[in-house]
Amino acid sequence: MSTLSQRPRLRTRLSLRRGRRGLLYLALFGGGLVWLYPFLWALGSSLKSTDGFFSGGLNPIPSEFHWSNYSEAWTQADFSKFFVNTVLFATGTVIVTLLATSMAGYVLARTDFPGKKIWLGLVGVTLFLPHGYTIIPVFDLIQRLHLLNTLWSVVIVQSAGGMVFGTFLFMGYFTTIDRGLEDAARVDGANFHQIFWRIMLPLSGPMLATVGLFACINAWNSFFIPLVFTLSRPELHTLSVGMFNFIGQNSTAWTLVCAGSVITLLPIVLIFIVLQRFFINGLAGAVKQ
Amino acid sequence: MSLLDTRERRRTPPTPPPVAARPGLGRRIRAAKWSYLYLAPMAVLLLAFVVYPIFASFGYTFYRWNGIGEPGNYVGLANFRQILSDSIFWGAVEHTFVYAFVLVPVQLLLALALALVLNNPKLKFALFFRTVYFIPVVTSAAVVGVVIQLMLANFGDSAGSLLAKTGMTDGHIDWLGDPHTALAVIIAIGIWHTLGYNLVYFLAGLQTIPAELYEAAKLDGCGPVQSFFRITIPMLRQVGVVIVVLAFIGSFQVFDLVQVLTGGGPYFATEVVNTYIYHLAFGGSAGAAAEPDIGLASAASFLYGLLLIVFSALQVLALRGISRRRTAAGQ
Repeated sequence: MSTLSQRPRLRTRLSLRRGRRGLLYLALFGGGLVWLYPFLWALGSSLKSTDGFFSGGLNPIPSEFHWSNYSEAWTQADFSKFFVNTVLFATGTVIVTLLATSMAGYVLARTDFPGKKIWLGLVGVTLFLPHGYTIIPVFDLIQRLHLLNTLWSVVIVQSAGGMVFGTFLFMGYFTTIDRGLEDAARVDGANFHQIFWRIMLPLSGPMLATVGLFACINAWNSFFIPLVFTLSRPELHTLSVGMFNFIGQNSTAWTLVCAGSVITLLPIVLIFIVLQRFFINGLAGAVKQ
Repeated sequence: MSLLDTRERRRTPPTPPPVAARPGLGRRIRAAKWSYLYLAPMAVLLLAFVVYPIFASFGYTFYRWNGIGEPGNYVGLANFRQILSDSIFWGAVEHTFVYAFVLVPVQLLLALALALVLNNPKLKFALFFRTVYFIPVVTSAAVVGVVIQLMLANFGDSAGSLLAKTGMTDGHIDWLGDPHTALAVIIAIGIWHTLGYNLVYFLAGLQTIPAELYEAAKLDGCGPVQSFFRITIPMLRQVGVVIVVLAFIGSFQVFDLVQVLTGGGPYFATEVVNTYIYHLAFGGSAGAAAEPDIGLASAASFLYGLLLIVFSALQVLALRGISRRRTAAGQ
């Protein structure tokens, strides 16, 4: 069945003869190796001895395996605390982002209200403005709200940064849902809230996964925001911030730094590999519209 | 209950005439109260933490202020004058534009080529390759930057000594420490890091092209090269515009990668606008000012913001002009 529908496409794509196909796979695997090499190298180097690290260079294969690098890095840098913080931070960011962007995306896609066009224009403009430097007024605001040095501040500021992209993704998604569904529900007596929470939101599973995963990845990798808002509370640091302090304190223990990098990167890469279907398709959907 | 009533009332005229008089603004606002409520969380977060700070930082541009206490030392337009006459600022602008204008074309061509190959349904492991090429995107520039820095350092069989063995160079290349190579290395790493996004975007675009088009072209005697230029490229135009704009926006905001890899050095050779602003605001060795100066930093970012708005407007106009001319030509 599927072969039937695919056959016309096959003939029209770059035709793959045997020899060329071999070369193609070689190129794809070669490129893939280049693409993954830094990760393989970090993984290998995290298991090397200090001497092995300095003599090994770009060779990722350790001559002997020093598993203790991991336990050493873990205890020295307080990674267990950072890990919990990062999970809390990422979870909070995902929840706030999903709630705010799905609701906003729904009303922008499906309802008409005075000021909608102005709002959309404003949101579009903010995409172009550089706002990394606005950390000072943001810092000031957080201080006035008495949220400085709390995980809340990090969650709120991080979520705010993902508002525009998430809202646009949800907007695009909700416009593709059949309007008849809402009309039918309305005829059955469903009100605004019931239509959103009972019908539209449950239907937007793939987009919830996409935006949620996006928010999670960004929060996990965020460095500047958690650094600035937890400056005087080291016990609130996240993995990436903790990693950095660790580098500062261990400027020669590079094998431990590599172990720390793997500890920081591995969870999010695994989450991505498990959920990548949603993420990539959702992102793709955003561009198609 | 009352909500239901208003909706019933609105629905009563079965088919409203197309040019019905619109209800008054007040009534329309009242009718849309739930829309506003649902928009509110997003609006509050965006206004408070993204829009307001942009304006607030404009207020700082008139002060000489190190960020501690209240800004007090009013200097008028002196900050703008200082930034505009600072060669390091213009160098940073130049580096950012070089970064964007080298990275975007190279990366988009690579991504398009890869997408064309991975879009072939006959290809085995397509999902695997897609995942592999996407993985750098989900990892933080900060941590990856540290790892790559270690890889490029001259330990053992480093990239430099490998090149020396082939006789191409004389050995120890300080990739990130040499002003001649540092920016190029950063651009290469930038291409590596974000290629996955554009790969996925192009794959999405390719999948919207109906297979019948290729079939018809083949019947008409089109080869793969011809159908690529006659079908694939024109059909990708709309998606392509979005991809190009997003790629430029991302490149103009480059920060993490540069900050981690070189901090803008050596000798400002890789200073981009965002690291320049960062150094002004928070001090640091490579910055133009040794003392943190929020006023100067705000002025620099305001000027850069203006530059980006002008550039974006030009970009949008140009892209619109291109697509209009093509449509007019009957494509």
